[in-house]
Amino acid sequence: MSDVRGWIGERVPVSIEGIAAMSNEPVPYHLKRWWFALGGTPAYLFVVQIVTGVLLAFYYQPSPATAYESVRYITEEASFGWYLRGLHRWGATLMIAAVVLHQMRVFFTGAYRKPRELNWMIGMTLLTCTLMLGFTGYSLVFEQLSYWGATVAANISDTVPVAGPLMKQVLLGGETYNDRTLSRFFILHGAVLPVLLILVLMMHIGLVRLLGVTEMTFEGEDPAAKKQFNFFPEHFYTELIIGLTLMLLLSALATLVPAEMGPRADPQITPEVIKPEWYFYVAFRWLKLFSGTTAMLSQGFIVFVMFFWPFIDAWLVRRFKYADISVWIGVVGALTIMGFTMWEALVAH
Amino acid sequence: MTLDQKRWVIGGLGFLFLLSLVSVQWLEVARRQHESGAARASVSTPAASRQCVDCHSQVSTGIVEHWTGSTHAEKGVACVDCHKAEAKDADVFSHYGQQIATIVTPRDCARCHPTEAAEFSASHHSKAGNILASLDNFLAETVEGSRAPFNPHSPTPGRAVQAVNGLAPANSGCQQCHGSLVAFQGSDGGLVTMRDLKPDDKGQPTNMDAVGRIVRNESGKPLFSSTSWPNTGIGRLNLDGSTGSCAACHSRHDFSSRRARQPENCGKCHLGPDHPQKEIYDESKHGVAFRDLIGEMNLDAKPWVVGKDYSAAPTCATCHMSANMRNGMKITHDPGERISWTNRPPVSLVMDTDANHAVVTETDPEKRRAAIADTADAKRNRMKQVCSTCHTPDHINLFYRQYDDVVINFNEKFAKPGQAIMSALATNGMLTKTQYDEKIEWTWYYLWHHEGRRARMGASMMAPDYTQWHGMFEVAERFYMELIPEAREITEKALRAGRGEQARRANQVIDEILNRPEHQWLLKGAEEQADAINREMQRKYGQTRQER
Repeated sequence: MSDVRGWIGERVPVSIEGIAAMSNEPVPYHLKRWWFALGGTPAYLFVVQIVTGVLLAFYYQPSPATAYESVRYITEEASFGWYLRGLHRWGATLMIAAVVLHQMRVFFTGAYRKPRELNWMIGMTLLTCTLMLGFTGYSLVFEQLSYWGATVAANISDTVPVAGPLMKQVLLGGETYNDRTLSRFFILHGAVLPVLLILVLMMHIGLVRLLGVTEMTFEGEDPAAKKQFNFFPEHFYTELIIGLTLMLLLSALATLVPAEMGPRADPQITPEVIKPEWYFYVAFRWLKLFSGTTAMLSQGFIVFVMFFWPFIDAWLVRRFKYADISVWIGVVGALTIMGFTMWEALVAH
Repeated sequence: MTLDQKRWVIGGLGFLFLLSLVSVQWLEVARRQHESGAARASVSTPAASRQCVDCHSQVSTGIVEHWTGSTHAEKGVACVDCHKAEAKDADVFSHYGQQIATIVTPRDCARCHPTEAAEFSASHHSKAGNILASLDNFLAETVEGSRAPFNPHSPTPGRAVQAVNGLAPANSGCQQCHGSLVAFQGSDGGLVTMRDLKPDDKGQPTNMDAVGRIVRNESGKPLFSSTSWPNTGIGRLNLDGSTGSCAACHSRHDFSSRRARQPENCGKCHLGPDHPQKEIYDESKHGVAFRDLIGEMNLDAKPWVVGKDYSAAPTCATCHMSANMRNGMKITHDPGERISWTNRPPVSLVMDTDANHAVVTETDPEKRRAAIADTADAKRNRMKQVCSTCHTPDHINLFYRQYDDVVINFNEKFAKPGQAIMSALATNGMLTKTQYDEKIEWTWYYLWHHEGRRARMGASMMAPDYTQWHGMFEVAERFYMELIPEAREITEKALRAGRGEQARRANQVIDEILNRPEHQWLLKGAEEQADAINREMQRKYGQTRQER
């Protein structure tokens, strides 16, 4: 055994002990609270998405003539195709939910504050990538929602001053939805966005390691008590429990509420009601409240504010001398997002 | 949570995850079995039928296996529920403690399916057994066979043939589609049928003398005559007075609606030289799409509504019987409800029907209006509702115009003239009263009953080859090259026999027909068209039709 390790050690001069020590860095004590251990869930789900996505891509054929039939084949004929598609679909939903929850936790605990402002912005980039993966993902099925969702998104992009027409062109690969649009979505969904997400995620985790996890103290805790504990095995077990619970939940959802097929995309028939996936409800409701350009510019502004929030927060705290001001703004923001989502979900149009 | 507790939780969750994967595997296997038809729903046999199932799964495994895969089995409907009989029924017998009958009739099915049975009994299908006075029946029973048994022509080595059953062509041919007159063997050597039993409203015999003549075996089971059973002809005349057989389409013992929805099911009878509807469908775009897209037909769906549950292709059932989005998803078991021409007689008739669902033949407009209970237009509109699932109103209306034109062209150019010529020959004493004893009667029969129907039915279901080459082309050839020359030959013969006046009257009818504009090409020639054809053939192929 030692011969083998020696043989490998000569050719790969990496210290296993060093790696073990690096990965076994002590983690803050508050991570013993389950709620604070959920940061890894989007990463878990991302791995599930990669594995199931690769398997689905074996069968998927990205062209208007073949896309719907290939998804139907996956769902109805390919061995375990229904299960894989169910896992992928529910994985996407849970991943977006997990990213949003993680972001809210970071926001309300002020974990984005100095020196972690850049990591917040990287996190926002991850959220954007995840939402774009969701959008390009359901566009690939080529059901009515896919086609009209993409068409609506392109028309919305078109309303952006100056850059709008170009954004539409880039999104659709032409003036209107055409034979090349789906392959564009497929490459974005299956290659560009995942690779981008992996790179940005590495930066995100790298910064977490460099800066360390924000340490928190809770009411009633002894400030003199032990502040940290080892990653192995205790926190690793926690993560394993969360991962297994997630897999069980995903497996149950994929089996009990399997992914179905909507009507095939038909450019001749505009559906009476068209709604995007739930995570775009808030944006969709916003668009309905304001005229095209106003809606887009205001949404752009909100996204800009969210990106640069750590700096805005610092300015607000300095200006108003009140450390929790962001919490109250966050509460209003979160309630607005939830309210708009519910509103869109409950009304017919 | 301590480390040990965490380990236990991880172990438990890991086990549950493995279980979930096993359940996924189980679901996948179940799905595969279902798709391959190997899956069976759980069946619990009702107590009354348990003994039947136990015994018959040994002695006639197939019927039990078929039933096990049926919706009946899923719903707990078993042997006795359908086969049970009343003590007063003519065909009742005791079988291991149960009073049953062999044949299940529409009256039995109506116990659970009253609407379907009522629609079916109003249909032309259920009356298909009344063919006693038809040309087809005469052909089978007299021309092809013999109404009375006859002595063998000579001995058959290895087989002692005492008397030949001349009804064999009718029994194994006509009646297997049209339905037999179900008969028991009579103790007097004759047969006992519903006509002897005279069943009442409940289907029970009123003529006890006839019941007494039924031959039974030692265990009391009545013995059927092989002239009538086995038989699942769609218009079977049953002992309880009901007509028809649900099993004609819903094959026993699985009664699969999936199978009834497929064209092959109708093709048991609707094919062949005289009514090749199945082949016509196969040739049509509808049939081509069905073969290609059968996987998308959702044939097991309940309900099975075109435009909702499937839209890949229509089958016979789709157009003639099944539910659609435009008709309030109403199914009918009377295919005649959506048919606007009857192409069965020599001259097609508009399908205005009376209260008994019979075609109204009255020509006086007032009397005709009074007699009609359901118009052909209403029937056509019902069919158009099906068409409109996939086609625009313009498309549908123009298709119907094309179909109508073919029927009317056939009626006016060949059918009515053919009838007039045959009538002129008959009324002038140049044909015997007996059918099929003269060549021209076979010629005329081929013309309307085979070729004419093929042309009309071909047009009705968009099969161009059946409309043209198997249809109108053969009609024309039969008319000009056989019917007319044979009619002329008959009149010549009459003239030579000194019956000049009769021959003149018949010839006058033929001359009047041939001098009509649509037939003039034959007498006056069409040389300009012939020249044009020759020039075109020369240009295309370097040859004309006369020389190489």
